Amino acid sequence: MMEDESFTDINGKSISLDCQSHSSLCSEFIVSVPKVSIGKVMVYTCCVWLLAYAVFFFTENTAVLSSAIFITLVGMMLHIHFVKVDHESLLVIGSLGIQVSSSYASGRETTTFIEMSKIKDIVINEAIYMHQIIYYLCVLLKEPSDPDAVSSVVPLFQSSKPRLNCLVKVYKSCQEIISKC
Amino acid sequence: MVLKIFFPQCCNRADSGLLVGRWISSQDSAVVLAVIHYPFIPGHVKQYIQQMQAKSGVELSVLGSWSLPKDGQEGMESFLRDLSTIFPQERWLQINREVGKMGFTCQVLQRDQNGRVVQRETKKKNEKVDEGAGEAGGDEEEQEEEKVIFVHYEQRKVMLSQLHPIENGVPDPKTAPPSELRQMFQTVANSQPLFFLDRYDDGPLKSTHWQTEGREASIIVELLKQALIPLCMLIGWLLSVWTWVCNIRIFSLYPLRFLSSKLSTCIQLSYRTEHMRLLSSPKPAAGHMQFMRKANIVVSFLVDVALGMLLIWWLYRDNHITMLANMLVPAADHVAKELDELLQWLMGAPAGLKMNRALDQVLGRFFLYHIHLWISYIHLMSPFIEGILWYGGLSACLGLTFALSLLSDMVALLTFHIYCFYVYGARLYCLKIYGLSSLWRLFRGKKWNVLRQRVDSCSYDLDQLFIGTLLFTVLLFLLPTTALYYLVFTLLRLVVVLFQGVLHLSVDFINSFPLFAMGLRITKPYRLAEGVKFRVLCEEPGTALHLLMEINPLKCSAVVQTYRTLTYSCYPKDSWAALVKKLFVGELIYPWRHKTTKTD
Amino acid sequence: MVSDFFYPNMGGVESHIYQLSQCLIEKGHKVVIVTHAYGRRKGVRHLTNGLKVYYLPLQVMYNQSTATTCFHSLPLMRCVFVRERITVVHAHSSFSAMGHDALFHAKTMGLNTVFTDHSLFGFADVSSVLTNKLLTVSLCDTNHTVCVSYTSKENTVLRAALNPEIVSVIPNAVDPTDFTPDPSQRLDDRITIVVISRLVYRKGIDLLGGLIPELCLKHPDLHFLIGGEGPKRLVLEEVREKYQLHDRVRLLGALEHKDVRGVLVQGHIFLNTSLTEAFCMAILEGASCGLQVVSTRVGGIPEVLPEELITMCEPNVRALCAGLETVIARQRSGSVPSPASIHARVQNLYTWRNVAERTEKVYDRVAGEEVLPLDRRLRRLRAHCGPVAGSIFAFVAVLDFLFLLLLQWWVPDWVMDVAVDATGPHGLWRQVPSSKVGAHSKSAVK
Repeated sequence: MMEDESFTDINGKSISLDCQSHSSLCSEFIVSVPKVSIGKVMVYTCCVWLLAYAVFFFTENTAVLSSAIFITLVGMMLHIHFVKVDHESLLVIGSLGIQVSSSYASGRETTTFIEMSKIKDIVINEAIYMHQIIYYLCVLLKEPSDPDAVSSVVPLFQSSKPRLNCLVKVYKSCQEIISKC
Repeated sequence: MVLKIFFPQCCNRADSGLLVGRWISSQDSAVVLAVIHYPFIPGHVKQYIQQMQAKSGVELSVLGSWSLPKDGQEGMESFLRDLSTIFPQERWLQINREVGKMGFTCQVLQRDQNGRVVQRETKKKNEKVDEGAGEAGGDEEEQEEEKVIFVHYEQRKVMLSQLHPIENGVPDPKTAPPSELRQMFQTVANSQPLFFLDRYDDGPLKSTHWQTEGREASIIVELLKQALIPLCMLIGWLLSVWTWVCNIRIFSLYPLRFLSSKLSTCIQLSYRTEHMRLLSSPKPAAGHMQFMRKANIVVSFLVDVALGMLLIWWLYRDNHITMLANMLVPAADHVAKELDELLQWLMGAPAGLKMNRALDQVLGRFFLYHIHLWISYIHLMSPFIEGILWYGGLSACLGLTFALSLLSDMVALLTFHIYCFYVYGARLYCLKIYGLSSLWRLFRGKKWNVLRQRVDSCSYDLDQLFIGTLLFTVLLFLLPTTALYYLVFTLLRLVVVLFQGVLHLSVDFINSFPLFAMGLRITKPYRLAEGVKFRVLCEEPGTALHLLMEINPLKCSAVVQTYRTLTYSCYPKDSWAALVKKLFVGELIYPWRHKTTKTD
Repeated sequence: MVSDFFYPNMGGVESHIYQLSQCLIEKGHKVVIVTHAYGRRKGVRHLTNGLKVYYLPLQVMYNQSTATTCFHSLPLMRCVFVRERITVVHAHSSFSAMGHDALFHAKTMGLNTVFTDHSLFGFADVSSVLTNKLLTVSLCDTNHTVCVSYTSKENTVLRAALNPEIVSVIPNAVDPTDFTPDPSQRLDDRITIVVISRLVYRKGIDLLGGLIPELCLKHPDLHFLIGGEGPKRLVLEEVREKYQLHDRVRLLGALEHKDVRGVLVQGHIFLNTSLTEAFCMAILEGASCGLQVVSTRVGGIPEVLPEELITMCEPNVRALCAGLETVIARQRSGSVPSPASIHARVQNLYTWRNVAERTEKVYDRVAGEEVLPLDRRLRRLRAHCGPVAGSIFAFVAVLDFLFLLLLQWWVPDWVMDVAVDATGPHGLWRQVPSSKVGAHSKSAVK
C-alpha cells in the first residue's frame, strides 16, 4: 500500500510514509527522510576548506590543509554513521509487541522491541521541542507494579518528526491492530 | 486470541514426527523444542518426556504432530488425528508442510470436557519463504477464528544467550509474571538436558534439534576445567598464608594501620587479595552474574600482569632506572628553585598588589624555611633513590596497577612540602573566612544559633560591637595577603592532586573494566542479549505471519555498565560545584580515595 | 491567558486565573494558559475540563518571574498563538515579565490584548519608578485594562498614565461552596486567631510578630494559627521561642488550596496584616467561613467587605491590637453574628460567574477593535511614553517585528500544526472523553 499523499516534517521538508500491511495482525510503517543533498555537502566542504585556506594563507603551514581534508572526511563519516537517519520504521505485531528501528545513512541499524505486556497504549502527545511546540507519537510503558500507571514514554519517529496528519494516519492503524488483540 | 508458535529453524526440514515443547499458558504461546521422529512407541515417548521433565524442571509435553510427507507417505490424516488421543492435551497442533511447497499448515484441535476432539475451523495455510526458495503456494482462508503467528528462532543462540536485564533469585509472586519472551528464553535455556542427553541413533527415540548434527564442545576447555581445581587449591593455600601474615598484631597498631589506609599500594593489595579470595573458592559460580564477575576478574588480572611485564621489560632493558634516578634529584632542585623564586616574588609586591608587609614577610620566611628543609631531605635521600626505584620497579610483576599505585605514593611523599604549604595556607585562610563571617553577622546584629542550625537575631552590648568591628576591620585588611598565599599554594596542590587523580583513575579503569564481557560481546554478540528483533519473512499480504526472531545484542555501553567490577571509587563523588565551594571556604581537599574529593 | 504565576505556585493571581478560565470554558470559550516551567513541570498539560496549560521552559529570574529580554520568548509565544488560533491575549499581574512580553509580542503579531493588574505599587522609590515606566510602555498598546478594585484602578491609571475609559474594575471572587462555615470545629475554651498568607514583608508579618506577644500576655486563652510559608517565617519562630508560646502559636507551613478551609473553620477571628493589597481574597475567604475579620486599612481592602463584617485598623501594632481587643471582647460577650449569617451575606457578593461575565464583555469589546499597524504604533509609543523611553521602545518594537519576520521565514505559519481544540466551540473534550490528545499528563520536553 504505497501512499500518494505527501507529508512534511515539522520544518516543512517533505518526507514519505510507507505503510506495509503484512497481515491483519502486523503492519509496518516506514518514514523516510530525504537523502543528504549534494549541494549541502558541497557547501559545508567549501566552508571548511576556505577556512583552512585562509588559515594557511596566514600561517603558511601545509598541515592545516591536510588536517582540513581529514576533518571533512571524518566529519562526514561520523555524520552519516551517527546523525543522519535514512529511515525510521515502526513494526506493530498484534499480541506480540512493537518494534522500533531506525537505520542510519551508513547502514547502521538500531532496533528496540517492546513486548505487548509492557505497553499501555500508543498516543499522540504534545511537547516543546527547541523553539516549537510539536506533536509526536509515543508508546506509553506500564509500571510493572501498578498496571494503571505510566512508567515511561518512548517517543517514536524521533529524528524524522512528521507532522500531525502523518501521525494521525499511523496512530489510527496502530490502534486498529492493538484493539484487535 | 492469537496463538504464537515459537519454532526452531533447525526443525524446518526435519522428518515427520511429534512436536515436543512447552505451552506457555498465560500468554497463549507454544515453544517447540524438538521433533521426535517416527517410528516410536508411545510409552517410550511418555517415559522419555517424564525423565526430561524431572531433569530440566521444564513442563515438557507433546504439543502436536509435525509432518513433512515424503513420496509415498500419503493419507496420514486419520493417523495424525488418532495420535492426539494417545497424548491427551488441551490443544493439539497439527503442523503440516507439503512437499515442494514451502507452506506450513497448522490445525488446532481443541479438546472439550468430554474428551471429545473438536476440530475448530482453523485451517490455515501459511507461506514460508525458505532460504533460496521463495515459491508461493497454498490457498488463503481469511475467515479464521484463531490466528497463528509463527516465530522462527535459532535454537543454539537462544539457548546460549542471556537476556538483560538479568533477574536473579526467585521471582516475586506479587509482581507480574515474567514476560513472554523471558519465559521463552528460560524454557529453551533450561531444556538443555533435552539436547544434551540425546543418545543419537542408539536410543529408542530419534529426534531433531540443534545438536543432532553433533555435540558442541571443546577438548581444551574440558582439560582446563580439570587443571583448574589444583590451581585453585594452591592459590587458596597461598592466600591463607598471606592473610595470616596480614593479621599479625603488629599491623593493626595505630600508626601502621593509618598509614596503610592512606597508601594506595596497600589499598590495591587488599583489593587484589579480595579478588583472589573470590576466585579461589572451590564452588562453581552460581548464576550468570557471578560467573561473568569471576571471568572479568581473571581476564583483567592477566592483562594487568602482562602490562606490568611489559613495563618491567622496558625499565630494565637499557638501564632506564638509573637515568630516571639521575634525573630526579636535579628535577627536585629545579622545583625548589622555582618555588623559592615564587616566594620571593610573593614577598615583594606580586603583580603590583600592595600587601601587608609584616605578615607577608612572616609567611614568606616560614615557607622558605620549609623548602630548605625539604631540599636537604631530598639530598639526604639521593644515594638511595636508585635502589628504591630498582626494587619498586619489581612490583610491576604483580601488575601494572601496583606500579602505578606505587608511583602515586612516591609522588605523594616527594611533594609532601607542597601539601604542608597548602595545609598551612588553607587553615589560615579558613580561620579568617570563618572569623569574618561570624563578625559580619555580629555587625548586622545576628548570630548563628548552633542548636537550631539557623541565624537568629541578637542584641549585643556596645563594647562587644566595638571589639567586633575592630577585629572585623583588621581581619578584612589582612585577608588579601593570606588569600594570595592560599591561592598560589592551592594551585600547586591542585596540580599534584590532578596527577594523582589521573593515576588513580587509570588504576581504577584497569581494575574495573569488564574485559571478558567486552570480548564476549565482540566475538559472540548473541551471548549477551538486550532483547530480540523480528523480521517479517512473509512478504505477501493476506497470508498469516511468519516472523524470524533474531537476537539484539547488548550495547557496548550497557555491557560496561552491567559488568563493571565494583571498586573503591564507585562511591558517590563530590560535584565540581562542591569542590569549588570547598576551595573557596578553605576546606582541605584530599586525593585519598576514601575521601573521594578527587578531581576526576 | 498569560502570566508567570500559575499552579503549582499558590496565591491570589493563580487562583484568579484558574477560576476565571474554568468559568469561561463553561461559557463555551476556548482558553489556553501560558506560564513558565515550574521545576520538572514543563511541556503541555491538561487540567480539569480540558483547560490547556503551556509550561514554557523560560529561565526564572527572581520571585518566580521570568527574565525579560523582550525577544527570547517570541518563538515559543508565537508558536502558541499560531497553533491555538488565539484572538485575544490576556496577561495577568504587573509583576509578571512574561505577561508584559506576551502583550508586546501579541501586538507585534497583530492580536488584541487585555491586561489585568492585581497589585498596588508606590511611586517613590527607584524600583517602582522603573516598573511604572515599563508598565506605561506595555499598557500603552493594550486595548483594555482590568483592575480588581477602584483603588487599584486609580493606582494603575496614575502609574501607567492611561485613559480611564479603557480601564474597568472587575473584582476577584471566591467560590462560596468551597468556604462554608463549620462552627463545630472551633474549640470553645479558647479564642483562635487565624492568619493565612505568604510570610513575606508585603503581608506585614513584622506587624504580626509585634502583636502576638502583646495579645498573648493579655489574654491567656488566645491561640494563633498561622498558615503559609516564606522568608519571614523566622521572625515568627523567634517570637514564639522568645515568649515561650509554642503551645499557643502554631505555624502550619505551606498550605494547599484545598486545606485552607479546614484551617479557617477552626478559628474565631481572621487577621490580615497586609501593608499593601489591591483586593484581598484572603479576608473574603475568612468571612465566607464565618469568621470575624480584622484587617489593615490599606489599598483596596475597604471596598471588599461591607462595614459590619470587617474591623479596620491602621497598619501599626497598636491599632491592630486595639482592633483585635474590641473583636475579642465582642466574641466573648457573644454579640457577634453567627457564622452562618455571615456566610449567607458574603455568599452572593462575589462569584466567579459574575467575574467571567464581566470579563466576557471586555473581550467582546476588545475583539472588535482594530489593531494598530506598526507605524502608528510607533508614533503612539513615542507620543505616549516620552522622547527617550518612547524611542528606545519603538526601536525594540521594530526589532521585535524584524525578528518575527525572520521567524516567519524560517518556520512559516503553514508548517505549524493547528492544535486540536480541547475546549471552546469545537472542543473535543466533552464529546469524546478519550480524545486523541488524551489527558496524558506526561509530556516530555526534549
